[in-house]
Amino acid sequence: MKSRSGIMLIFLVAIATVSVFYTALPEGINAQQEEKTFVTHTGAVVTTTGEVLDPLYTSATVEFDPMEYLRDFNYGRVSQLSDGTTVREFTIIANDDEIMEVSPGIFFNVWTFNGTVPGPTIRATEGDIVRVKFINNGEKEHTMHFHGIHPAGMDGVFEPVGGNGGQFVYEFEAGPVGVHPYHCHVMPLEEHIVRGLYGVFIVDPKEERPPADEMVMVLNGLDMDFDGENNFYAANTIPFYYQHHPIQINTDELIRVYVVNMVEFDPINNLHLHGNLYNYYPTGTDIVPSAYTDMITLSQTERGIMEFEYEYPGKYLFHAHKVEFSEKGWVGIFLVNENENAVESKEYGT
Amino acid sequence: MELSNKSSKGKMIASGIIPFVFLVIMMAYIFGPGADLLDLGIPLPEITMEKVDFVDSEIQVIVRNTGPIPVEVAMADINDRIQPAAVEPDRYLNRYETALVRIPFEWNEAEPYIIGITIEDGTRFEKEIEAAAPALEPTLELAAFFAIIGTYVGIIPVMIGLLWLPFIKKISKQKYHFFLALTAGLLLFLGIDSIEEAIEVSEENLAGSFNGVLLVATVITFSFLGLYYTGEKLVSKAGSSRFTKPVAIALMIAIGIGLHNFGEGLAIGAAVGLGSIAFSTFLIVGFALHNTTEGIAIAAPMSRGKTMIGKLAALGLIAGAPAIFGGWVGGFVYSPFTSVIFLSIGAGAIFQVIITILKWIREEGDKNLSSAAVASGFAIGMLVMYLTSIFV
Ligand SMILES: [Cu+2]
Repeated sequence: MKSRSGIMLIFLVAIATVSVFYTALPEGINAQQEEKTFVTHTGAVVTTTGEVLDPLYTSATVEFDPMEYLRDFNYGRVSQLSDGTTVREFTIIANDDEIMEVSPGIFFNVWTFNGTVPGPTIRATEGDIVRVKFINNGEKEHTMHFHGIHPAGMDGVFEPVGGNGGQFVYEFEAGPVGVHPYHCHVMPLEEHIVRGLYGVFIVDPKEERPPADEMVMVLNGLDMDFDGENNFYAANTIPFYYQHHPIQINTDELIRVYVVNMVEFDPINNLHLHGNLYNYYPTGTDIVPSAYTDMITLSQTERGIMEFEYEYPGKYLFHAHKVEFSEKGWVGIFLVNENENAVESKEYGT
Repeated sequence: MELSNKSSKGKMIASGIIPFVFLVIMMAYIFGPGADLLDLGIPLPEITMEKVDFVDSEIQVIVRNTGPIPVEVAMADINDRIQPAAVEPDRYLNRYETALVRIPFEWNEAEPYIIGITIEDGTRFEKEIEAAAPALEPTLELAAFFAIIGTYVGIIPVMIGLLWLPFIKKISKQKYHFFLALTAGLLLFLGIDSIEEAIEVSEENLAGSFNGVLLVATVITFSFLGLYYTGEKLVSKAGSSRFTKPVAIALMIAIGIGLHNFGEGLAIGAAVGLGSIAFSTFLIVGFALHNTTEGIAIAAPMSRGKTMIGKLAALGLIAGAPAIFGGWVGGFVYSPFTSVIFLSIGAGAIFQVIITILKWIREEGDKNLSSAAVASGFAIGMLVMYLTSIFV
């Protein structure tokens, strides 16, 4: 009898002991695993036998490549009317079942125009006829609402296009000159936009702007947990992408960035450039810059064109000076290379 | 004759087993692989951050998958700002598996931090730390510190309480019953207090899948039944062995209180570990004061036997020393799960002791529990504990 009660006690003690060791200690670290090192944002070097959690995003793993998107301009299928007017035809397919790896290892159901967030950058010259064949392959209703000047029936607000193959053709004359957003305009609007149904529409002046290395940056955010706050911020969707993959540019070459702020939930966003200042053209409608600055602040759907040249080679940061946004991904680097085609070499100092 | 006996025995076994087999088949049908009968909605992933340590330039988090499906740890943040981090051994967590997430971060002592972990579907989990404090290194020095604290909180007060023994020895039966009931009242308070603490810890730190309250209830029942069984055996043997009945009961009380004091040690160790100096000082003073009453609880039944200084000291140690072990566990290997388990075991032990004491009074007091002495003793016991608890 005594032994049985003893067993009872031992049993209890054993349960307690096992639970201590099972729960209190992390799983044994396998000594055979190879060690990796990584550098934190502050420059500290950390060694681990485990895996590194860092938005070290590579385009190899995903369909959407922010580097490709950066300089990808879609001019459409071009034809001429009898009076010589250029017609540009585009096909845009909306979807709402796409799962996109929005940061390494994190997958999110985005809603897309042509499969990407942002949708394609559409480009036309002032006075061109823009004809967009819109197909909605999603389950919900979607539209395309272009900023700019066009007839009421082409506004993409009161003509919702049904899902599962619904179609609509938007046709209007490109104008005014500038950089404009387009986006879905179906309620609940905030959701349709923040999930990714937007893109950039550039209207070039008839007299071309000076040649430049041109790029598009859509400032956006993603609300992963649907709490009405963004968990990620980025230029062109993928947080920290241009920090880990710097944008290569040259010294003494004009850089022209079309910037569009599509961030929802937050009242402002901004863009600060390091080691330089830029000429800023709000909405891109004027040929005279409104400011020469290193810092602009944009509210929702505010946009503009910035132009600058780097004199000195090296790495330069650009990011939201709302630091919260940059620490959640909206940060990047221009890697300025010495321009081999430069006519004259410059000498600095004495 | 023998044959038919065997076959009837076989029938009996079969008749016992066959329903069981059907039960197994039914369970396999409902829950087995490929069974979609119970596909009630979408299973949501869940992780729990069980422990956060602040070491040199790093915040280390132990993450456990406490949801119904496997998860991948994808990202870490401090105060909602994304930080590069390492996860060891890897980011894939099966059910109940843990991983260590190391987040390099120049934290400041005593400042609050919110640690966030995001998994592959973008769900973010967070844990708030009220004040960052360097993780305790298990040094000999610190172990000795906990031993001293444990002695002050556990052993010495219980020993002081035992000094009431000569006084209790001299009083009348009525007054003696009063003191026994007082002991039961003290213990009832401690038991309820332990349950409250265990539920609180489980609600704050354990994932819903652990079913905190039910876990506490289950462990209490286990501990109560185990100790009750053991205790009964001990008491029933007491007459014939070298144990006398009062000693057996006192031993039960000492074990129950010992488990309780282990919980107190845990609380102190964890408080020191979390760096809340003021809080841990408060706990030490409060526990020390109120543990003297635990000495009375052990002394009361012992007063009816021969006074044996050696046994008394041993009982004092059994009741008090676990505070030291509790301090070590709480300070060095704290985990909310174990602390819930220990607190629950302690509560079960205490209830077992209360039952034993009540039985003892009943036997001693002519099968009567409704005397004024018992009622007032019980009430005053609760009241004393309540009043001392206000100061803790
Ligand atoms: Cu839409």
